[in-house]
Amino acid sequence: MNSTSNASRRAFLRRASALSIAGVATPWALNLAAIGEAAAATASDYKALVCVFLYGGNDYGNTLIPYDSTRYNAYAGMRPTLAYTRSALAPTLLTPNVALTGGAQYALAPELAPLLPIFAANRMAVMLNVGTLIQPTTKAQYTAKSVPLPPKLFSHNDQQSVWQSSSPEGATSGWGGRIGDLFESGNGNAVFSCVNVASNAVYLSGHHAVQYQVSPSGPVQMNALKTPLFGSAACSSALRALVTAPSTQLLESEHARVMSRSLGAADVLGAALAGGPAIATAFPSGNPLADQLKLVARMISTASEVGAKRQVFFVSLGGFDTHDGLATDHPPLLTSVAGALGAFYAATVELGVADRVTTFTASDFGRTLTANDGSDHGWGSMHFMLGGMVNGGRYYGTPPVVANDGPDDVGQGRLLPSTSVDQYAATLAKWFGVGDTDLLTVLPNLAHWDASQRTLGFV
Amino acid sequence: MSAAATDLEPALDAPTLAALGALMALTACGGGGDSAAPAPSPAPAPPPAAPPSAAEAARFLSQASMGATREQIARVQALGYAGWLDEQFALPASATRWDLLVAAGIADISHKNDQAGFDAVVWNKLLTSPDTLRQRVTLALSEIIVVSIDGLGSGGWKQFTTAAFLDVLEANAFGSHRTLMQQVSLGTAMGRYLTYRGSAKENQSTGALPDENYARELMQLFTIGLVMLNPDGTPTMVNGRTTDTYAQADITGLARVFTGWDVDLAGGTTDTPNFVRRPMTQVAARYESGAKTFLGTTVPDGTAAIDSLNHALDTICGHPNVGPFLARQLIQRLVTSNPSAAYVARIAAVYADDGSRVRGNLRAVFRALLLDDEARNAALAGAPNAGKLREPILRLAGWARAYAATSPSGTWAGIGNTSDPATRLGQSPSRSPSVFNFFRPGYVPPNSALGSASLVAPEFQITNESSVVGCINFLQRVVSGNAGDVAADYTALIGLADDAGALLAEIDLVLAANQLSPATLAALASAIATMPSGTDAARRNRIYAALVLVLAAPEYLVQK
Repeated sequence: MNSTSNASRRAFLRRASALSIAGVATPWALNLAAIGEAAAATASDYKALVCVFLYGGNDYGNTLIPYDSTRYNAYAGMRPTLAYTRSALAPTLLTPNVALTGGAQYALAPELAPLLPIFAANRMAVMLNVGTLIQPTTKAQYTAKSVPLPPKLFSHNDQQSVWQSSSPEGATSGWGGRIGDLFESGNGNAVFSCVNVASNAVYLSGHHAVQYQVSPSGPVQMNALKTPLFGSAACSSALRALVTAPSTQLLESEHARVMSRSLGAADVLGAALAGGPAIATAFPSGNPLADQLKLVARMISTASEVGAKRQVFFVSLGGFDTHDGLATDHPPLLTSVAGALGAFYAATVELGVADRVTTFTASDFGRTLTANDGSDHGWGSMHFMLGGMVNGGRYYGTPPVVANDGPDDVGQGRLLPSTSVDQYAATLAKWFGVGDTDLLTVLPNLAHWDASQRTLGFV
Repeated sequence: MSAAATDLEPALDAPTLAALGALMALTACGGGGDSAAPAPSPAPAPPPAAPPSAAEAARFLSQASMGATREQIARVQALGYAGWLDEQFALPASATRWDLLVAAGIADISHKNDQAGFDAVVWNKLLTSPDTLRQRVTLALSEIIVVSIDGLGSGGWKQFTTAAFLDVLEANAFGSHRTLMQQVSLGTAMGRYLTYRGSAKENQSTGALPDENYARELMQLFTIGLVMLNPDGTPTMVNGRTTDTYAQADITGLARVFTGWDVDLAGGTTDTPNFVRRPMTQVAARYESGAKTFLGTTVPDGTAAIDSLNHALDTICGHPNVGPFLARQLIQRLVTSNPSAAYVARIAAVYADDGSRVRGNLRAVFRALLLDDEARNAALAGAPNAGKLREPILRLAGWARAYAATSPSGTWAGIGNTSDPATRLGQSPSRSPSVFNFFRPGYVPPNSALGSASLVAPEFQITNESSVVGCINFLQRVVSGNAGDVAADYTALIGLADDAGALLAEIDLVLAANQLSPATLAALASAIATMPSGTDAARRNRIYAALVLVLAAPEYLVQK
């Protein structure tokens, strides 16, 4: 991020000459992108939005634990074999700048302790009871089915999709990608607008923005193009033409399209990453989420080298579908999340870009609060937002009543969301630079909220 | 097992079918019929034809086997398609994965808490077992009824647990779907993977309810899906909207069935893996004996656990969605991503009645599916929307079968766990990241011409900028003998290698059923012709290069 415009210009010229050598084999789109890059490389501002998706449906009950005695006792009564002891929670009690009404208090799960200093430094905020909604919905409306509800509630794949796109499985664009649609023309290389370091997610596909997948170790280079194929440069050349050739056969054509994007981007990104600054911040090892976020940090550190002004990133961690063995399986997952998020935030500080990066968590759904050995699929959940521009050290949203079929849950502690994913997303998108009118395109259901409630002000 | 497993829906007589078929022709494309949707049109009877050509036989084998070989191409030509299927149906089952693990010494207690031997036996079966149709069908079933070794939680013996599950799929692959679901539901693999092993009845003091995991996915993913279907697999529309097959209350009700089940140590210990192959047994104290209501039926209060389970599986397997739900996905696994509604309807009808009033006869389903005109008619292969992307497992298997790859040590260590998209295949058998399989049947690549044409392409869900390159890099290592002790027999190619055109023609036939275009073959031949020749070392390099080029070619990658 701190590279000078001279360095950027040199990098651009380097790539431009490489492109001209590649000549006719270069896809036209990459040439166009390279032209745009000349303009973008002089841009001074930069923002990155990073979605951390916890696949499987994170158990909110053992992530952000009610701490005031009334709520704690209700929590402990509903999950006697799974509850943290109150004394174990004391070190991670959150002390917000703005107290919640009714004396409500929460503690982070002990495994999330690495996030406590970020909260205390007002760079992390907590979103209470956020989930998928079509419109503001009361329990009476839910019970009477008198308002439209999100389709296929409690179903993994569908609620992942609704979280990411506002539609169930089968959706072809998500709100991260739709944000990317608005900014990719301002990025020198459109291909780096929506970057997925995990596996395919509808979140990152726009109406025209295409998600670019990169491995945690960087772009994968084709050996047969780096070294002549079994000694034959002619075969390497034939291979490149073969795998990228357009076709009237639609499946063949789609494969060639992915391959063209891969080969076109690998050289540019590979060179940029190789020339990027060393990151001194230690990322925890054996932590796939940390591996992904480290690559995101490296890409952010070299964003100007690829002409990127606005980038939407997606990373993920699986294993959160804790139907059983919750007491054994869930804590290490939170340890991974805290270690990865903490290191990533520290890396953005080290790189001097903390103010330009906002990170947030998301998941399929929350879970039930009642539990045997584990918890079941739920709805609303608790999430975290981190970054230099986050108005942190406090809660957003409304603390739900801890109950089984109380006023704020639809049974078993499945929370009826009091804040919608669309409001959460709109707040992030607005920070990113999306205008009020465009917000309604990116998040169509947002129009069902009063204009004064569409964003939450946490960043 | 309950007698109600079969014959839940009386078969329609032929004249009725014909009349409904005519009606179907009017409504099939609109998808707007209401719930009383018509039955399928009868399968067009292909005229008795000349024996299949070598290319037609190879194309058939791309759908019906783990990969064509010269030997199997000749066999299909000699027996015809139906005759070849009969031969394969009659082949004795190859050694089970379980027995292969035991033979490899993996039952030793030192392997209780690792996954040793699993990838080896799974690849061994996929790449070498003579019952190639059974292997292909087992792979297909394992991608619909999913257990992943990485999701078994605690309990040990994961390789044996997953092996036993795959052996159940294989043992029932040509049998009764109802029996298959029974054995799957009582198996420790599913009990662990979808966590109902140990699930307890409702806790009156805390309000905790039985684990809903299996109840939900059994219906959503394995049998009936989320919305009501017409017999042709299209959603049933009522006032322009789909109809849900079940609600949360049905899941809560069905979850009460899957309580009290746990592993059966049979007086032994967990120090040997034997218990993971036994059906689960009941723990009465944890079983919910109260009434259970789901899908419009109620299991009465006091019903025994096994009778409750039979009631549930009879209800689910008798649901009208099962035929079209399974038919469409099985066609997608073997033949094409985008079958016509009529094709789905024909196979769903065979599921409903195999001709002898037996429901859920999988052998009949696979026979009909592979002999259907929409699978066999080579003229359809030229359509822009034809076929399916070969999943990476099938690319490796196609090569391994064609050139009789072996791993003399039996470890297949150079293949192993192929999950990493950056360095291997981005897909590894029975290592799906979740119960939703590697890819979903309705996946549409975003912003694609496929999407614009309303086509789905499931395998593209694991096709991305990393995987497309990682796969070629991996296959380049494998075909050139750089994957441990995995070695191919290229005898048949060595003699052709000095002639680039002849070399490519042979590879094109066996791997790609002659589906590389003349222009592609010419371009590749002219490149390979520039390579040295005349020595075995030079010939081997030509073979390696030709294989990499064909395995990377989009015309090969799309099985049509």
